[in-house]
Amino acid sequence: MLCWPLLVALLAFAGGCALIQPVQPWEKGVLAKPEMSFESDRLDSNFTEHTYFSKEAASGGAGVGGGGCGCN
Amino acid sequence: MADTSSANAGTTPLGMALMAAALALPAVRSAHADSAPERASLAFKWLDYKDSQLGEDRIRVRAPSALLVLPLSGDWAVGGTLTSDAISGASPAYHTTAITPMHDKRNALELNATRYFANGSLTLGSSVSRESDYLSRNLSVQGSLADESKNTTWTAGLALGRDRINPSTQIVTNEHKRSTDVLAGVTQVLGTHDIAQLNVGWSSGSGYFSDPYKAMDERPRGRRHTTLLARWNHHFEASSGTLRSSYRYYTDSFGVKAHTLGLEYVQPLTQGWTVTPLLRLYTQTAANFYVDADASTDPFPPNPPADWAHYTEDQRLSAFGARTLGLKLAKQIDANWNVDVKYERYSQRASWTLEGRGSPGLAPFNARSLQLGVSRQF
Repeated sequence: MLCWPLLVALLAFAGGCALIQPVQPWEKGVLAKPEMSFESDRLDSNFTEHTYFSKEAASGGAGVGGGGCGCN
Repeated sequence: MADTSSANAGTTPLGMALMAAALALPAVRSAHADSAPERASLAFKWLDYKDSQLGEDRIRVRAPSALLVLPLSGDWAVGGTLTSDAISGASPAYHTTAITPMHDKRNALELNATRYFANGSLTLGSSVSRESDYLSRNLSVQGSLADESKNTTWTAGLALGRDRINPSTQIVTNEHKRSTDVLAGVTQVLGTHDIAQLNVGWSSGSGYFSDPYKAMDERPRGRRHTTLLARWNHHFEASSGTLRSSYRYYTDSFGVKAHTLGLEYVQPLTQGWTVTPLLRLYTQTAANFYVDADASTDPFPPNPPADWAHYTEDQRLSAFGARTLGLKLAKQIDANWNVDVKYERYSQRASWTLEGRGSPGLAPFNARSLQLGVSRQF
């Protein structure tokens, strides 16, 4: 199930991050904007994820938890 | 799942399935840990969803939903979502054929509590979703840990799900489904205008995975899937806009492989307005026990090969591609109030799959959704 290749990808990504020039706290004004967050509208993402869950075979990836349903 | 129906009751089963999902509750929590909220917030959103095939209406969902986030102190916050959806319309019994009326209602509640630390957070969550024929309960824990500079954040999560299934057809009774989800991820600040995230997820489930409202549906009693999700947000200084992009690879023990690409561009305008066009492209292969449509057997579903132990004629497990186009318009009224409206059109076609030719004999599927939202901070 590709577990090891994916884990390697994760570690490689993290390793690559170590080469990045650190951003200082006072340089993070743009990063603090709501649109730079990976979840800016929770109810919107809830609706959207469940809609796709009901119409497609693939799901998940962004996090864990939440309610299931009989959408099979 | 949905409730389905007896002709007298006017309900149908399958439909639910599609439907319920459309509305449900859910909640997938982001793997990125934010700092503790400084203010409480209350949000309402109303969804109107409708889908169709070849001009024939299928499912309609109307779902109000509410969100509450309440900081208790500098270190704690609690929150939750409540969703109630009403599902009606019709859904196919197999492939895109034998459209059967259905209706159902679903109520879902999700609660969570988060403890924030200097360089991380820990969230405990629980949820319950109840339909006439389906009860789902879920517990989760998710933690994050950042380095000293807070440029790198590691995330790990675990969730356990327990579902109880009692379809109105009574084809099975007191069936169950159990699932365990694990997620590991890293979020990295790449620069003053870039942030990226990589998540790897595994899920393992056992129990009843068939759809009791579909004809010719006998699925394995176990399903494992793996996901790789990469996201990248980039802010453009010249336009003050932000491009939010994502890619997900999915593979599971049913034999499905899927790719999802998401792009949305958030453009602030004057007087608090923000406009966000979005595009989503999706492709999947068929499950290895999917039985293709065969017009020669009409009005009956085609029989699976005699030596197949598992089989399905569910359109959702066929090979297809899909496209979503959308537009979101938001207005920040003042420091406390925000309103938004979002409209999306979704289209699904067998011929759009990237691998192979797509599953034959399926009617084109389309959907549209409208969201209206309002939120207030205190």
